Amino acid sequence: MSVSPADVERIASLAELAVSPEELPELTAQLDRIIGFVAQLSASGDTAPEGDVQIGPLETPLREDVVIPAALVRGPAEIAPEFVEGFFVVPKLGAMEE
Amino acid sequence: MTWETVIGLEVHVQLGTRSKLFCGCSTNFGDPPNSNVCPVCLGLPGALPVPNAMAVRLAVRAALALECGVQEVSVFARKNYFYPDLPKGYQISQFDRPIATNGKLQIDSADRGPVAVSIQRLHIEEDAGKLLHDRIPGKTAIDLNRAGVPLAEIVSGPDLRSPAEARSYLTALKQILVYSGVSECNMEKGSLRVDGNISVRRPGERELGTKTEIKNLNSFANLERALGAERVRQLALLEGGGRVEQVTLLFNAGTGEVRPMRSKEESHDYRYFDDPDLPPLKVGAGTLEEIRAELPELPGAKRSRLMSVYGIGAYDAGVLASERSTADYFEAVCRLGPDPKSAANWIMNETGAHPAPEALAELIGLVADGTVSHQAAKRIYPELHGGSAPREVAARLGILQVRDEDALRRWVDEVVAAHPDEVVRYRAGESRLLAFLTGQVMKRSRGTADPKGVQAMLARRLEDS
Amino acid sequence: MAAATALRLAEADRARLNATLAWSEEALAAEAELIGRSREPGALQNIPVAIKDNIVTTGLPTTCGSRILEGYHSPFNATVIDRLHAAGAMVACKTNLDEFAMGSSTEHSAFGRVRHPLDPSRVPGGSSGGSAALVAAGVVPVALGSETGGSVRQPASFCGIVGVKPTYGRVSRYGLVAFGSSLDCVSVFARTVSDAGRVLRVIAGSDPRDATTLTTPPMALPAPRASLAGTTIGIPREYFPADLDPGVRAACDDALARMRELGAKVVEVSLPHSSLAVPAYYILAPAEAAANLARYDGARYGARAAVPGDVRALYRATRGAGFGAEVRRRILVGTYVLSAGYYDAYYARAQAARRRVAADFSRAFASGVDLLFTPTTPTTAFKAGEKTGDPVAMYLADVFVCPASLAGLPAMSLPIGRSDGLPVGGQLIAPPLKETEMLAAAAALEGVLEADTEVSR
Repeated sequence: MSVSPADVERIASLAELAVSPEELPELTAQLDRIIGFVAQLSASGDTAPEGDVQIGPLETPLREDVVIPAALVRGPAEIAPEFVEGFFVVPKLGAMEE
Repeated sequence: MTWETVIGLEVHVQLGTRSKLFCGCSTNFGDPPNSNVCPVCLGLPGALPVPNAMAVRLAVRAALALECGVQEVSVFARKNYFYPDLPKGYQISQFDRPIATNGKLQIDSADRGPVAVSIQRLHIEEDAGKLLHDRIPGKTAIDLNRAGVPLAEIVSGPDLRSPAEARSYLTALKQILVYSGVSECNMEKGSLRVDGNISVRRPGERELGTKTEIKNLNSFANLERALGAERVRQLALLEGGGRVEQVTLLFNAGTGEVRPMRSKEESHDYRYFDDPDLPPLKVGAGTLEEIRAELPELPGAKRSRLMSVYGIGAYDAGVLASERSTADYFEAVCRLGPDPKSAANWIMNETGAHPAPEALAELIGLVADGTVSHQAAKRIYPELHGGSAPREVAARLGILQVRDEDALRRWVDEVVAAHPDEVVRYRAGESRLLAFLTGQVMKRSRGTADPKGVQAMLARRLEDS
Repeated sequence: MAAATALRLAEADRARLNATLAWSEEALAAEAELIGRSREPGALQNIPVAIKDNIVTTGLPTTCGSRILEGYHSPFNATVIDRLHAAGAMVACKTNLDEFAMGSSTEHSAFGRVRHPLDPSRVPGGSSGGSAALVAAGVVPVALGSETGGSVRQPASFCGIVGVKPTYGRVSRYGLVAFGSSLDCVSVFARTVSDAGRVLRVIAGSDPRDATTLTTPPMALPAPRASLAGTTIGIPREYFPADLDPGVRAACDDALARMRELGAKVVEVSLPHSSLAVPAYYILAPAEAAANLARYDGARYGARAAVPGDVRALYRATRGAGFGAEVRRRILVGTYVLSAGYYDAYYARAQAARRRVAADFSRAFASGVDLLFTPTTPTTAFKAGEKTGDPVAMYLADVFVCPASLAGLPAMSLPIGRSDGLPVGGQLIAPPLKETEMLAAAAALEGVLEADTEVSR
């Protein structure tokens, strides 16, 4: 299974990552190499039992339903690239509009 | 050509918690933008989610009310996509291991009678924030107060056969969730949202036709209208020899038309995987039984019980049981003695705030024993919500029913004297004029005369020539 | 201590280690003032701790070695920072790292590579290279790093210091910028096993803000032991291939001989699925990373590309320019292995492989082995630029450290000798929650090796 430039473009689009036409060939080659490397897992065809080793807790802890103040040392206005009248601001939806 | 309509609904309800699903921010509606936010719901680097116990409880309660099987172990999963109202670039939801499956909800279909609509699944997920497109010219404004609010998504099977049934289903679903205290289910405030899936097929066909999805419906009426409009569109397409494309549509309430959403992308690839920040969610048998015990009497059971215990009919039971508070009020009044049918009528017919149960019970009693006429009682009723007692109001308004024979005879004499022609015609056989003459006596007495006594007295009087 | 630390940090800057990304005298003074308020001395009173720049701090910026977070000042402190403060320790500086902790050499930082303290032409390892270099150079006595696939043990081995990764869930991840959530562990660098244990004990413990922390009794400090009598050390044959670097092999043989002298029983074991670990890791970690890094879009914090157009144009330009090449590759790999049609072939298989790797360890420990011993890295510190041409070559540097990460086990590296003047690290791997036993055994070994492992002048 090899990775094609079209694959890379589709994946980059899903991941909202700009990839220029100049970058595409080398990036495709690198990804092909990496996917080729990890694909050896598919080839291993291991039938040994997997075991059920638990990493981390067995069940999630739950939180009591109380309102807690956020304790932010600096608020949204201070960290946002653009913040107007209490809102985070980004461009129009454009192509993303449903 | 006949066609069968197949509809399924996907409903999102906001679970009625104080804090968000994965953090301690307030869920309060209408606060200043970005004032109920913290690292977790802002999606700041390093933040982590921890689930809200009450959200889980309410979701389980909803699942039990809808007769679902509750999974002892369910798993949170990441649904990955980019949108400005989604701070992490993924929504924490549930995918292949939801908390509940296989429930049902009974509705009454005008066409088919009682129908059990299947509930395929109920799962927990976090809400996204809000985008405002006109707040700042040329830009999108983002308010993340709503991001992270807990939702239950409830998906029905494709069991509805008309837009009207879809509306009935949504009404019944809202009722059961409000009853159970799970959610306010207020469409205007966004705590109840519905998307409809609709397709058509030939009767008898087992395969489903291609379905379309209608999103962002904002009222029960528009749900029904939109499904109706889309049905018409699909039938026109098919009968013209075309094919239905799988599209997502929006409904324009003004024009009554559906139109496809602008983006013509294929369905999203959400790349679901189990959220590694959240170990499995467990609901033990003990907790499940505790939550089951918390369930109130549900609408169906309540309707049946009101009918059997109080002897009222299905329609009345339905109206009284539409809200828990109304049904509770009805029973509180009946416990004080009045005839249930009278109580039901009063509660159903009178608008505005109900008076205290004792007051209504007393009023009904006063009518029953003839102290006031029914007409007079209707004048007393609005005065009761201030806390006044019915008898006092009656006295104040001067409408205590008059039964005194002398007073009645005086009015009867006056009316007989004033309407000689009618008296002659009555004696000649026009017996319906008795009602007219009774009415005249009632008028003279300004409604306070006992109508039965008046009628009897008039009848005897007119018999004597 | 603040002033002394400032002097050493300034010196390190002059030496062009490039190990720090942020420090200032004002910040140090603020830290001194903060810890000076406590009335009783804490377990780490006045100790300056260097913090890897993927752990958020309110007093200094957090960049994760990335342009996309340039200028980001976190509104909250990581839990581990709160715990250090409560113990009287001070944040010394933020240290350089491979961007978003993705790398094994610290050459993938957007702010330049870190130089190995002993040989500036070489890498200190990664991704926690900055923290390792500062401890190795004597600028600070201890540092926090993070591990996802070996990013503390490997640089500890290259730099000749101690690096300890706890059991997954032992230390809170709240405030550790997520890379591979099911693998990430805040970890500790120190010059001695004892110091590493002291720091680990302070930062460990369940945290209500992190649902993946374990509720366990607090970690005990190891009791000093001079003998390893009664301890069985397992050596997995898969970690000692025939073509293992001779210098590394020699140091390991020496360490094993010392352990036998101390009374340990040494047995050979097999971890047959070891070769699945690196491929499985490079499916699972990028998949989680792709989702964890989706939040960096220029909308609410961090850097934003100044481009015309709609929201999508903003996202694509910001992320395209803000992420470096390695991060971009991993996001793409991660997106690919989760995408429709590929989940079963890659992600699901990798999960299965992970369970097999973990089961191998369980079986070995159940067979009577108390600790496993292996080389930490297949080579000593390599030259800068040597492995950046081929991403897979870089990934294979993690071959011995990756499996314990997948299994969530506590593991550590300690210096066991030199090869051509460069440090060699030996790795100990313990059963879950057995950090205390692991540190005790390591200290015993350290005691007899001490004379040979002087690090920097």
